[in-house]
Amino acid sequence: MAMLLSAAVAAAQTTRKDTTGKSSTDSLMNALTAPEKGEPVIATFKATRLIFTQTTETVKKKELNFMVIHRFGDIAGSAGGGKTFFGLDNSSDIYIGFEYGLTDNLNIGLGRSKFEQMIDLQLKYYLLHQTTDNSMPVAVSVIGKTGFKPYHVNTNIFDNTLNRFSYFTQAIIARKFSSALSVEVAPSYVANNIEYPFLVGNEKRYFAISAAGRLKFSKRMGIVLDYFHPFSSYRDNSVNPKYYDGLGVGLEIETGGHVFTINFSNAQAISEINYLNNTTSSWGKGQFRLGFTISRIFDFNKKHQSSY
Amino acid sequence: MKYIGLILLAWLGINQAGQGIYVCKNAAVSLYSKAPIEDIDAHSDKGTSVLNTTTGDVAFAVPIRSFKFEKSLMREHFNENYLESDKYPQASFKGKLNTIPDVSKDGTYPVTATGLFEVHGVKQNRTIPGKIMVSKGAVSLTSEFMVACKDHKVEIPKLVFHNIAETIRINVSAAYAPYK
Repeated sequence: MAMLLSAAVAAAQTTRKDTTGKSSTDSLMNALTAPEKGEPVIATFKATRLIFTQTTETVKKKELNFMVIHRFGDIAGSAGGGKTFFGLDNSSDIYIGFEYGLTDNLNIGLGRSKFEQMIDLQLKYYLLHQTTDNSMPVAVSVIGKTGFKPYHVNTNIFDNTLNRFSYFTQAIIARKFSSALSVEVAPSYVANNIEYPFLVGNEKRYFAISAAGRLKFSKRMGIVLDYFHPFSSYRDNSVNPKYYDGLGVGLEIETGGHVFTINFSNAQAISEINYLNNTTSSWGKGQFRLGFTISRIFDFNKKHQSSY
Repeated sequence: MKYIGLILLAWLGINQAGQGIYVCKNAAVSLYSKAPIEDIDAHSDKGTSVLNTTTGDVAFAVPIRSFKFEKSLMREHFNENYLESDKYPQASFKGKLNTIPDVSKDGTYPVTATGLFEVHGVKQNRTIPGKIMVSKGAVSLTSEFMVACKDHKVEIPKLVFHNIAETIRINVSAAYAPYK
């Protein structure tokens, strides 16, 4: 064995003398730059929201995300058309919200909806990061959210403050298949302290599912599709009002620190608690609307001294 | 196949004493963009390098993902939008020193290396200046050079709000260990 080796070495030295330097540098570089294992995948989505559904993304530590989300009125149908300038005269919901990074993975969020004047407070945690070597094939984030309607409406049952609280919890499971395609599925659970809408047969608590995805067609633009369905037999069977699943399609544009989404959707509300509870508008009846999301990140990390 | 590996290893082992091969696994690479709105700098200490003072071969590589920025969004945009690190994970240089300094003597030797510089999948033939320092037998190398974004098809859209310089300054520094 030893003899064989040394003979081989001698042979190699004589035959490959001229290429010695090149091949050894190359093989050494290859050995040194062996791919590192299991790094977390970054930028599964560009922002923390798609159309209805939140994404697995969190804002990083000491960063603040400021969001303005808007839904106009019905484009067509009885409330749409030219007399409301295809819904642009009306706003079915306006959401102004903030998200702040307590750590890179833990965010606290606060927002206010025009719909039911609801104020919501949420915690979001980026539980599992997808890794480049697929030892973890998906990213998982969890959300816990409380919604409170500060003003009592319609019936005096809502005079009781406790009856105006709702809760929402969701696990978002996402996978970035490529730089262009990211898809997520998000099972969730809604719990209202009192049936909402307050109608006979309605459930206080039910499960729901959301599915959404983004397909980029350029580095900064992509098509977004978003869908939700509440597993509520009341909502499935009710005739008046009739409830519908949410379906939205949009265009996502990133420009430096901003992410814009321009979308069309049938759901009127923006906060999960509201749209899962109360989507009674239908694409089929022309009750879909233009909407947009503006998301802007502010960074409060102290500028480190440049070394230049 | 197994034998070829063994042979290669043995052959490298035998050769290294006379060959003057130096390696570095933690070379520092930084980039600096100076623009009217914002200065951006990023650093990586994951660069790798091989220097052969017999043949004059010099090679550098750095994983794009390893660059750390002040703001996490910068890192995201750097990887996703500009350098597309999923497609082109490395920046590298592979070339030859035009004059080989005598590393058995302490001193600072200005050198130039000519070879292929690859960023964003685009190879450019370049001559890059640098310095080789030898102090008590320890060999190190530093280099500073400019890279034009358009030479490597890194597009900077007019729409982005924070400006990015058209030419990025790169600083490289490697402290070598003899290859054993």
